[in-house]
Amino acid sequence: MIRLGLRLTMNGGREAAVRLVLLVAAVGLGVGLLLIALSGVNAVNSQNDRYAWLATGSSARMAASSGHDPLWWLLRADRFDGQRIARVDVAATGVSSPVPPGIPRLPGPGEYYASPALAALLRSTPASQFGDRYPGHPIGTIGDVALPSPNSLAVVIGHTAAELAHAPGAVEASSIATTPPSGCDGDQCLVGAGISAHGIDLVLSVVALALLSPVLIFIATATRLSAARREQRFAAMRLAGATPKQISLIAAVESTVAALLGVTVGFGVFFALRSPLASVPFTGTPFFTSDLSLSMPDIMAVAIGVPVASAVAARLALRRVHISPLGVSRRATPRPPKAWRVLPLLAGLAELGFFVVHGRPPTTPGEIQAFLPGFLLVIAGLVIAGPWLTMTGARIMVTRTSRPGALIAARRLADDPRAGFRAVSGLVLALFITTVAVALITTQNTTRSAPLDGPAAANVLADPFLEDSRTPTMPAPTAALLSRLRGIEGVQGVLAVHAKPGLTIPAKRLGKPASWGAVPAGVVSCAQLASVPLFGRCPAGAATAAFPADSLFGVRFGDFTWPAVSVPVGRLDRLGIGDINVATNGSVPAVERARTLLEGAYPSIRLPATLGESTAESQQKDIQYQQLADVIILISLPIAGCTLAASIAAGLADRKRPFSLLRLAGAPLGVLRRVVALESAVPLLAVAVVSIGVGFGASAMYTSAEMQEPMAGPGAAYYLITAAGIAVSLGIIAATFPLLRRITGPEVARNE
Amino acid sequence: MSLIIEARGIVRSFGQTPALRGATVEVAKGEILAVMGPSGSGKSTLLHCLAGILTPDEGEVWFDGKRLDALRESERSALRRDRFGFVFQFGQLVPELTAEENVALPLLLSGTRRAPALREARTWFARLGLDGLEGRRSGELSGGQAQRVALARGLVAGPDVLFADEPTGSLDSVTGEHVMNLLTASAREQGTTVILVTHEARVAAYADREVIVRDGKVSTLTGVAPAAGLTQ
Repeated sequence: MIRLGLRLTMNGGREAAVRLVLLVAAVGLGVGLLLIALSGVNAVNSQNDRYAWLATGSSARMAASSGHDPLWWLLRADRFDGQRIARVDVAATGVSSPVPPGIPRLPGPGEYYASPALAALLRSTPASQFGDRYPGHPIGTIGDVALPSPNSLAVVIGHTAAELAHAPGAVEASSIATTPPSGCDGDQCLVGAGISAHGIDLVLSVVALALLSPVLIFIATATRLSAARREQRFAAMRLAGATPKQISLIAAVESTVAALLGVTVGFGVFFALRSPLASVPFTGTPFFTSDLSLSMPDIMAVAIGVPVASAVAARLALRRVHISPLGVSRRATPRPPKAWRVLPLLAGLAELGFFVVHGRPPTTPGEIQAFLPGFLLVIAGLVIAGPWLTMTGARIMVTRTSRPGALIAARRLADDPRAGFRAVSGLVLALFITTVAVALITTQNTTRSAPLDGPAAANVLADPFLEDSRTPTMPAPTAALLSRLRGIEGVQGVLAVHAKPGLTIPAKRLGKPASWGAVPAGVVSCAQLASVPLFGRCPAGAATAAFPADSLFGVRFGDFTWPAVSVPVGRLDRLGIGDINVATNGSVPAVERARTLLEGAYPSIRLPATLGESTAESQQKDIQYQQLADVIILISLPIAGCTLAASIAAGLADRKRPFSLLRLAGAPLGVLRRVVALESAVPLLAVAVVSIGVGFGASAMYTSAEMQEPMAGPGAAYYLITAAGIAVSLGIIAATFPLLRRITGPEVARNE
Repeated sequence: MSLIIEARGIVRSFGQTPALRGATVEVAKGEILAVMGPSGSGKSTLLHCLAGILTPDEGEVWFDGKRLDALRESERSALRRDRFGFVFQFGQLVPELTAEENVALPLLLSGTRRAPALREARTWFARLGLDGLEGRRSGELSGGQAQRVALARGLVAGPDVLFADEPTGSLDSVTGEHVMNLLTASAREQGTTVILVTHEARVAAYADREVIVRDGKVSTLTGVAPAAGLTQ
């Protein structure tokens, strides 16, 4: 019987071959995506492991805890032309001081190891812009084992223990961290790569819900292709004496063969796409190709699980029909969905609405308990309500239309709304989740202080020195340093902000909410300020003025008049330095030469960054999640289109004879095209509108209740990507039109 | 009596297999013509050529003064939709539509509004003994009922010619006779010409005239040859 099943599957005529090819393609695509998702998680874990050593400083591996000589350790985020560099300054205190991975020994004073990408950058860039920042000379490259990504920029610089012992932020470590941190702090967040453990869970959930659901639904729909003809064949075999068990076995063999071939194709898809996908910076940096790997349990789960699941699905599908020697009959006519199905959706929206009216819970766990069930209810509610909404819409269309195409399409949708909705149900999740994600990210970005953008963002290099109260005050810049900075081609002015503990500026004056109170300030020379109009101005006649300390992020200062302070200009040099802000023309040589000069003069905790770099870094995670949302939309919409196309093909095969006879009787092909288009495009567009609408509604309620801000609409990119995805889906649907012409031609009616 | 359809020397092959080898036939207005012949003789091919579904490789087909085989496909489709009706052996009802919507379909395709189309369709249910079945789907109808619905659909738009290809082929003899009685009575009532393909003599007996297709050629068996006078 197994041989007969194999014979029917592999050599069962043209129709069986087409069915096999489609099924193999569907399973192959699904398995390929599944393997990519699994390997992606493995790659993120590898990336996390590879940069674990950078967390050494935060792990409090103090000397007392082991017998090793401690290692002085100072990690900072350096930058070059917008790229981040992990700069690690180390100093051994003895021969047994721990050595970071990727290098054979600790660099001595005047030596450093650079990652291959950084070494290449050093070779290709003038030393005054880059190389002069790193004291000494290179003695080798850092191995891949210590690099999150092939293009990671990292440098390990050697010092004497005495040098680093006095460096702000340096710590003593007795061992190198080997496990990725559960969270990051300070510069670790900037130089790190990958996604935190919490992030992996999130990515897995999002991928599973939003990406794999459409794929699985696509596979399930593909198995329905030519189902009617296949079932008729089984009935003929029953007539010839086959038992129901034998029929089940043949069906299982057919499905398993298709699944095995599909799994093979899926592995092929995975290995074909592995290398190009590795270069896509999903986590902010590319992966090593070898990091996109599969563990043995992954391989076994997919290679065995998919065929087994397919055989079980075939068995379940046969239970829906009764195959007797006299033919095939459906076990039951699907009952129409009931109106109660809309209740979970309404309950979810009502739950979110409740907190809009009554305010959010006071604690974070309370907020999670309040909002998470609401969103989950809305997601489940959309899926549950889908068939009822489809049926209701179709019934309205039935009563309103006089066009035969619309009538046939609406009747089909109203008859079996579950099948109509099933083809697009994966989209509900994808569109809802991405809409909420994009809306919340946009709102969050909008409610933050408006970032300083335009030319100024890239042009101003800020070097902050006052990290916290423990940071020693640095001396004011010397006249020589200021002169060298001003002498750099492209530098337009330098503003030194002198430390004045206790001095503040009312937040309201900076355009911030009054609830912020006051922001710390330093003192600037009005003569200097006048040379850099970008930073505002002093009141007329003032010699010195208060100026925000530490950070310029988020405020446009050009129109500000800063309050005068009673500090004589002559005393400024005796105050320590808070910040040095260098205005440039934005050119890379100007910015990087100034940065190199400042880093040499002030090896402070935080290295200088332009305002544009600071803005981008603060939004890095949001941008990654937005990228992920875009990826989900772009993948899930075409997959839904494929599902619809498979569903159309299956529906056309079922109605081949009446449709071809209708054409034969003079019905224009356009009428049948309208039937196909409406049967598929209407659910697709309706689901898109409902999912996006509910997504925006839920987001608006959440932002109102939780952020106490109105929801900000996403940018044009979201709409463009969504529209592009829908257009691709509609294009896939339109691609079935030639099939319609072919299978409803007069020859079909003659030969059926 | 004037001719409504005339075929002259039609040749039609499918690949290397010839189906018609110079078939000639004339059909008069209002006539019921039975086309008989053994399986594979080419009778369905002849019907499809007469209806403009297939175009002959050689020869001419004339309908009401127009050369049918020279028309474009869109024109022939329009002609089939507006001037012809069809009844086939089985499986011609759209499964999603109710019986009355199936009957109304040719009217809807011709642009009639839904309400008047359905009103007109319903009048056929009483005439064909289908009262009470208006809301049923094709899967809920017996073979005879489905065939009567198909007959109503073929006649509802008042076609000039009804093409019936083995209309009783899937029915038992009693039901078949009932359907044929209704078909001929309704056609005569409307003055519709009927071209009936069948291999059953008792079905052909309902026709005014019978022709037989054998080896791709047509020969007259019984009845009176239609008068000349086809308008060209």
